[in-house]
Amino acid sequence: MEIEKKLAEMGLELPPTPTPGGNYVETVRSGNYLFVAGHVPRKADGTGTLHPGKLGRDVTIEQGYEAAQLVALNCLSSIKHAIGDLDKVKQVLKVLCMVNSAEGFGDQPKVANGASDLLVKLFGDRGRHTRSAVGMGGLPGDCCVEAEMMVELED
Amino acid sequence: MGAEQKLEELGLKLSTPSAPPPGRANAVRTGNLLFVGGHGPNVPGGEALNSGKLGQGVTVEQGYAAAQQAMLNCLSAVKAELGDLDKVSRVVKLLCMVNSAPDFGDQPKVANGATDLLAKIYGDRGAHARSAVGMGGLPNGICIEIEMIVEVGA
Repeated sequence: MEIEKKLAEMGLELPPTPTPGGNYVETVRSGNYLFVAGHVPRKADGTGTLHPGKLGRDVTIEQGYEAAQLVALNCLSSIKHAIGDLDKVKQVLKVLCMVNSAEGFGDQPKVANGASDLLVKLFGDRGRHTRSAVGMGGLPGDCCVEAEMMVELED
Repeated sequence: MGAEQKLEELGLKLSTPSAPPPGRANAVRTGNLLFVGGHGPNVPGGEALNSGKLGQGVTVEQGYAAAQQAMLNCLSAVKAELGDLDKVSRVVKLLCMVNSAPDFGDQPKVANGATDLLAKIYGDRGAHARSAVGMGGLPNGICIEIEMIVEVGA
């Protein structure tokens, strides 16, 4: 439970595991890969998402960064639910970070760093991932950021 | 009952995928994973269903129907690659990209057109991780494009 200890040291905790809103699931394991569905910055208290709206119009980069961190936490919560212990993550492979963007907004990487920085703080080199940080024309419920990821698990 | 029989019962048909442009493939297999390229909602031998943007002319119901058609096209690519849809041991992941007007936020309801079809034909094997998101534009103004990863049984 080393990773969760680090989370606690940072003053963070894993939010409750989200429930998918359809005929899909939050994670699927195939071999040693775990595919994590797109997660939104759903607040732990169930009162919607953090900082809804578009970057470059309603939401600042700092707010987007904070929301991206919460998205990563929500992803980690689903990973823990799937594998029991976050220490079993061998490597974070890939993150697709999708930022709800107003026309002309180009700072998606600065927003996505909220997720990336958390992963590296928690997992060190095992948390260094490939990433795409891109702008979307819209996101579910007008949330400001959504991210999916792919991780490799220990045998 | 096999996946293709279930499709037939639903009155749905697979198509023969057209050859991809040079340098691209409709699907690529590595190990037990098959990565399926982005597919739009083209009707076999015809045009794309319900082109345009959700939240600006295209309704959620039309988007749902288009998502189902895009999934049929993905499955056609899977069939072309594997020969039999029952070789799929698990649907792993969908990325459902919905052409969206700026304030449209019901991408999940649209993506359910693909997700529900997979549940109908594959049952539990069809339950996948998914992202349903809004794009600022898609090729030729199609309303949805879907890419997929499936696991192939031994």
